[in-house]
Amino acid sequence: MSKISILGLYDNPDAAADALDALSEAGFDSNNFDVLTGTPYPEGAFGEHIPQHRLFRFPLFGAIVGLTLSVFLTSTTQIVYPLVTGGKPILSIFAMLVIMYEMTMLSAVITTVIGILFESRLPNISMNVYDTRITEGLIGVSLVCTSDKKETAERALNGAGAMEIKSSGK
Amino acid sequence: MIEVPKTHNPEKFNSATSSLVPTTNETLGGKFKLVIGIFGILSAIGIVSLILKITTVGFDTKSGWGYYAAIVSLLLGVFGTAPMVAIAPTIAKADWHRPVSRIATMFTLAGISTSILAIPLIFALPPLVVGGIRRRSIWFDANIYTPHVFFGIAVIGLFLIGLALLWVTSIPDLSMMRDHSSGWKQRLGKSLSRGFIGTERQWISLRARIGMMGTFYFMFLIFVHIIYSICFSLELVAGWKDAIYPMYHAATGIQSGVATVIIGLFLFRKYWNLEDHIGIDQFWALSKLMFATTIFWFYFFICAFMIFWYGKSAINEMTIAILVNGPYMPVFIGTLLLSFIVPWWIIIWNPVRYSPWMLSIVATIVLIGSVLDRIRLYVISWQVYSDEMIHKRYIPLDEIPENMIAPSLFDIGIFIGFISLGILAILLASRFIPVVSIWERHQSILLTRHIKFHRTEVYAVGKPD
Repeated sequence: MSKISILGLYDNPDAAADALDALSEAGFDSNNFDVLTGTPYPEGAFGEHIPQHRLFRFPLFGAIVGLTLSVFLTSTTQIVYPLVTGGKPILSIFAMLVIMYEMTMLSAVITTVIGILFESRLPNISMNVYDTRITEGLIGVSLVCTSDKKETAERALNGAGAMEIKSSGK
Repeated sequence: MIEVPKTHNPEKFNSATSSLVPTTNETLGGKFKLVIGIFGILSAIGIVSLILKITTVGFDTKSGWGYYAAIVSLLLGVFGTAPMVAIAPTIAKADWHRPVSRIATMFTLAGISTSILAIPLIFALPPLVVGGIRRRSIWFDANIYTPHVFFGIAVIGLFLIGLALLWVTSIPDLSMMRDHSSGWKQRLGKSLSRGFIGTERQWISLRARIGMMGTFYFMFLIFVHIIYSICFSLELVAGWKDAIYPMYHAATGIQSGVATVIIGLFLFRKYWNLEDHIGIDQFWALSKLMFATTIFWFYFFICAFMIFWYGKSAINEMTIAILVNGPYMPVFIGTLLLSFIVPWWIIIWNPVRYSPWMLSIVATIVLIGSVLDRIRLYVISWQVYSDEMIHKRYIPLDEIPENMIAPSLFDIGIFIGFISLGILAILLASRFIPVVSIWERHQSILLTRHIKFHRTEVYAVGKPD
């Protein structure tokens, strides 16, 4: 069975919320439909499924990698060139702190940038059906389903008062 | 533009879109190209001055780099710290910052000036071993070019983090440009928005990333201030020991950053016709920040000064002579007046805090004070440095120079040119990034209401996230 993408456009947040309820009642899995908005509505404003994310794992991973590398770099450098300075031990943590901080931060930042691309599913290669009026204030309810459920989906979206419904084969 | 959709505040919502989208075409009454041309010429003068300075002065004459080091320090504050005005209120979930945040974040683009200028200065910085003897530094027994390498990475890293922050905060507006423009703007919007369509996951991710990138920018900015202030001034003066100085450098940088944003906000509001979006509330809120940072100037200064004043050792007396009552005393007095006393006295009055143009005058005064402050700190640091002096325990009072050195024509050219280059970068970016964030304005409209509260009206702000 081929998959299709359907988009219902709404000019009212309450109607979009009703559309999500209708899709749930029609038996569609909440992981298969999504709300598209040009403005960040508060989470749950449409009664939508809140996706689980792993946003904080990326910078944490990056920070651990950066810290480990910096400890390795600074400690091995000091061990290879053992110069006693001011009577302090060869491995002096204060002498290493500046480089440890910088490398930890840089690594965390790089993984954060990678994380935003990954978590936002950007670039969106297999873009589902979309309407540019969403960035002008309309609210889209996007659904991916098998072609045999197209009519059910359209009925649910229309029932909630969709201004327009668009679909594309996938 | 489509017909008005029934969002919560449909008229305001659409009016924000229709008035902010065209700001990328703002022509300043047909003078945009002229303005760009002027800043372009000034930038070219700056670049030529930089090349001439490197070729004629060379890196060995340390005293010739004092004003240059002061300019880099100034730009770290003026341009580098300005985005903090967007970051801090975003993290605190304030509403007033939304029309300000884009303008403040766009100053990260001006970091290109700081990055370019910082690189030659790295070559002028003496190595950790001078004349066969290791000089005192925070790098202990590290490779003799460690500060050069890690400062270089840090300053370029700060610029790149700033660009990433600007990009992340602009993604929704870039997707709007992709959908509602044509030609190169559409292609650029498509390329930079990376297929952003506003799904729940994308918004959640975006909000979290803005917070994270902002936090990283702040942590890196303070780090760069600390490294720069220590390596490029404090360590160059034998005997100068001051634990508060790096934080003084960062705090006064924030003061000049706030001043920059106030002036930027005033100019964009006036010449981009943004009175409907940038209101008095924004200036009033910024005036409080300006007041706090102005008090910080004195607080950090007096904390350090008291130690030297009461310590009264030869090293302390030398430090006071270097920073306060030595050859640069007139500059110090100017700093004290323009960074603290005058702005503090003006800004304590309520009517000033409600007046954009009065606040802009105060901000200009603060920026002049910042210029003097950086001259006071950096010029003498490079003036007193010598390969012999750096190994002494401290500089004897009779060896402290009696006279100030004046900036060269190259220094003046670099000062004007690289500030212009930063402004030029912002103006060019305003061609494709709206100077007021459209999606944040929409969010503000969505989450704020004037509501009746008993017998008065209040401004209610929703804070769901």
